[in-house]
Amino acid sequence: MSNLVITKHLHEKDSQKLEQYLLHQGYKAAEKALTTMTGEQVVDEVKKSNLRGRGGAGFPTGMKWSFMPKDNKKPKYLVCNADEGEPGTFKDRLILTKNPHAMIEGMLIASHAIGSNVGYVYIRGEFHKEARVLQEAILEARKAGHLGKNIYGTNHHFDIFIYKGAGAYICGEETALLNSLEGKRGEPRLKPPFPAQVGAYGMPSCVNNVETFAAVPFILREGAPAFAAMGTEKSGGTRLFCVSGHVERPGVYELPLTISLRELIDHCGGVRGGRKLKAVIPGGASAPMLRADEIDVKMDFDSLAKAGTMAGSGGVIVMDETVCIVEAASVLLRFYEHESCGQCSQCREGSHWLARMFHRIENGSGTEQDLNFISEICGNMAGQTICAFADAVTGPALSSIRKFRAEFEAHVKQGCCPLKPKHTHVNHTVDKGTGRGASHA
Amino acid sequence: MPSSGPNTEISKTENGLNYCSTRGPAIQPQGPEAKPLPKITIDGSVIEFMPGDTIMQAAERANVAADIPRYCYHPGLPIAGTCRMCTVEVEKAPKLMTSCSTPAGDGMVVHTRSEKVMKSRTGVMEFLLTNHPLDCPVCDKAGECELQDYNYEYGPGTSRFVEEKRVFKEATTKNLSDKIVLNMNRCVHCERCVRFTDDVTKTNDLVMLNRGWKKELAATDEQRGLWNDYQGCLTDFCPVGALTWSDFRFEKRVWFLRKDTSICDRCSKGCNIEVHSEKEVVYRYLPLFNEKVNGHWICDEGRASHNSIMDPARVVAPMVRPEGGQKPMATSWETLVVDVKKHLKNSKKVLFLVGTDATNEEVQTIKSQASRLANQVELLAYNGTPGINSGKDNKPLDHLLRQSDKTPNTRGVENAGLKIWDGRDNHGADLVIYYRCGRAGAQVIQSIPIILWGVWNDQESKKYNNLVALIPGLATQEKDGSYTNCDGITQNFKMAVKHRGLGLSVNKVFELIS
Repeated sequence: MSNLVITKHLHEKDSQKLEQYLLHQGYKAAEKALTTMTGEQVVDEVKKSNLRGRGGAGFPTGMKWSFMPKDNKKPKYLVCNADEGEPGTFKDRLILTKNPHAMIEGMLIASHAIGSNVGYVYIRGEFHKEARVLQEAILEARKAGHLGKNIYGTNHHFDIFIYKGAGAYICGEETALLNSLEGKRGEPRLKPPFPAQVGAYGMPSCVNNVETFAAVPFILREGAPAFAAMGTEKSGGTRLFCVSGHVERPGVYELPLTISLRELIDHCGGVRGGRKLKAVIPGGASAPMLRADEIDVKMDFDSLAKAGTMAGSGGVIVMDETVCIVEAASVLLRFYEHESCGQCSQCREGSHWLARMFHRIENGSGTEQDLNFISEICGNMAGQTICAFADAVTGPALSSIRKFRAEFEAHVKQGCCPLKPKHTHVNHTVDKGTGRGASHA
Repeated sequence: MPSSGPNTEISKTENGLNYCSTRGPAIQPQGPEAKPLPKITIDGSVIEFMPGDTIMQAAERANVAADIPRYCYHPGLPIAGTCRMCTVEVEKAPKLMTSCSTPAGDGMVVHTRSEKVMKSRTGVMEFLLTNHPLDCPVCDKAGECELQDYNYEYGPGTSRFVEEKRVFKEATTKNLSDKIVLNMNRCVHCERCVRFTDDVTKTNDLVMLNRGWKKELAATDEQRGLWNDYQGCLTDFCPVGALTWSDFRFEKRVWFLRKDTSICDRCSKGCNIEVHSEKEVVYRYLPLFNEKVNGHWICDEGRASHNSIMDPARVVAPMVRPEGGQKPMATSWETLVVDVKKHLKNSKKVLFLVGTDATNEEVQTIKSQASRLANQVELLAYNGTPGINSGKDNKPLDHLLRQSDKTPNTRGVENAGLKIWDGRDNHGADLVIYYRCGRAGAQVIQSIPIILWGVWNDQESKKYNNLVALIPGLATQEKDGSYTNCDGITQNFKMAVKHRGLGLSVNKVFELIS
């Protein structure tokens, strides 16, 4: 397949090494950008490519870069968000372990575009191996002169430093990430001011996802039109889809954004064992679920938004008919209960309430009234808080009750999960010592 | 000399808040090219604001901010925008906006009580109450609790929460220091306290542990506990009963308390305070907002000083040493007057010391009347704080309020023309009269007879072997007067509580003995 942006050479041995990366025109794009183009030209090129942020929100990358102040009075920081924590998403770790130089080159180009000399990679705390591979790659690049002072003989200086997180999901939110980077509590900041004005250490900062950076070298090398042509009208390029759950061949797939969800599942070998599909979460845990009859939808940002869900981080979770939706939602909500930063009243208390309520319903002690409360509680949470976490909580909660209400009612009526014999009472307790959830069947 | 009283214009009770929320009216810009002030419409009233104000701050300028409920917002603290209680509807904005953090814009139209807003507030109240223990009957904050007040106004009335409530077992009653008790179950996580220690005292001695619904307040150093000198303020702005002042716990239901304004006499800063009393018994001091003097805060030393008025060891009856007696004995005013007059008559020269805690009015009275007491009277002031020999020696002890001069009126006494006594030279006197209000030092003069006057306690008076008489007087909160603080600001104050002993004012005593 010639039209792959990121994963084209990943099957090769030692693809994470610089020498291997250089075999496929590695760092040529950066050299071209630094030596022949101005910062504005790079931004224009990225704008023309219709590249949209791959972290979850899908904000146009070129536009984000153009928001950075043009004057050079304050230092500017480039931050790479490698805090990949969305359940069902595992694309960034693939890039970090197999193709870290694409990301480094992308950051180098971005640093030239926005006029930054320092880049931070905020990497998820649990990514020990990934951080090690990335550190080696940075050292290689530094040694070969792709990072450092006067890169390619220009007067551009740039270096990258790794900062390891402490394992909080919320630190994937860009302002919480910046707080954590500064050594503060990882809690999202009030906006405005946006990071482009007041970011890391109070300086203008630009935060992008690993996959976004990794796509940039291709745009500069092959040209914006080539990249834009791979996607839809408003969203260019390919995307890494992390398919997990009940398909024959789960994994990371790089596919154009024009693919539909049904095609994607078929591409992964279809639902495992020929079973019937029940539900799909198309963009990481925060994205509302889709029913089996709703999967004829294109996987780009706008089509999924129109279908009432979101493209999010590209984590596609496929659930077949053996899955109890109430349990699935309950597990997700327990995750959110654990990961809410606890700043805003609605999110802190609401995520806890919903998690407890779903757990109760799953175990058969729910009431008809509970089912009506769920949407009211979600209504009081969504859109009322500092960051989008509260909206993310309502994603699985609302979509499951709206689309699979019959299953909830069956739990209430039968006093247990209809898919499981009564004696296998699922007890999701929270371990008092570690604070981690533990499932005992 | 600027002169003002304690900030009585905006009382907390009128505002409906537990703290003063006041920002002066917007200042009209001066100069030929000055642009007119921007205007915002809040619930139909047009308000001028200063550029850079948030909606809440603009509302404060017109004194309508008390209508907007809030937990995390406090005018003296940095803005957090996390409680989501102060949301208002801004025309043309897609979502509800937090009034504490949204910058006010020229021509903005804000509705603080629209249907959408009220629904959102009810939602927040319901969430906050889900895990709250609702132990108002045993909570000291009941009656002045923002959760309680706002629940009456915005709460859902009933609860739909049937799950088990969150309980912090260890932090249900936990001493954060010897002054502050934490009940984490009541906490609504507004984090005013954390921001206070971060940004006001800059001691960083409070932190939130964990995250989400398990977020728990704790001292940064568990062994050391809190170490800032303004811990009492935590209990003032804690909207619920999570942080309580250990001296006030289970002492009094707040609705019985009468609130009077006064001045704290613990140091030369002259912080404005609210004296809370019932039946002339003082239960606590709270800070009273005064931008020029103390802002929103008072220190712990000042706050704890309400105990000194009620001190059981305080001498509140006249005392004289009987002829040939070993110890001074309590007596009647008649005996005291006869005795004191006799001593004054027999004296050739009297050294009259005035503590630098006497009010300006008392100093004037003493100045004009003292010469009539005896043949020769030398009038001097006395401070008694180590290292303070004049008002100029006063140094701030921190970047906030505390001062090294522990008497309230050194500047005022000096302005009246009195020199400060060095504590050694007797100036050839054969009798000393020392008037003070409980704050100036208790200098022991052994060689000549001494008459103590004012506010004294038992232990102090016992140090004087040559004490011949003790004339009880009134403490700061028991009289009218004025103090001039270390910055030269003169503040008038009125009697907050009636004296409960036999003490008399300086004027009365002069009438009796001269």
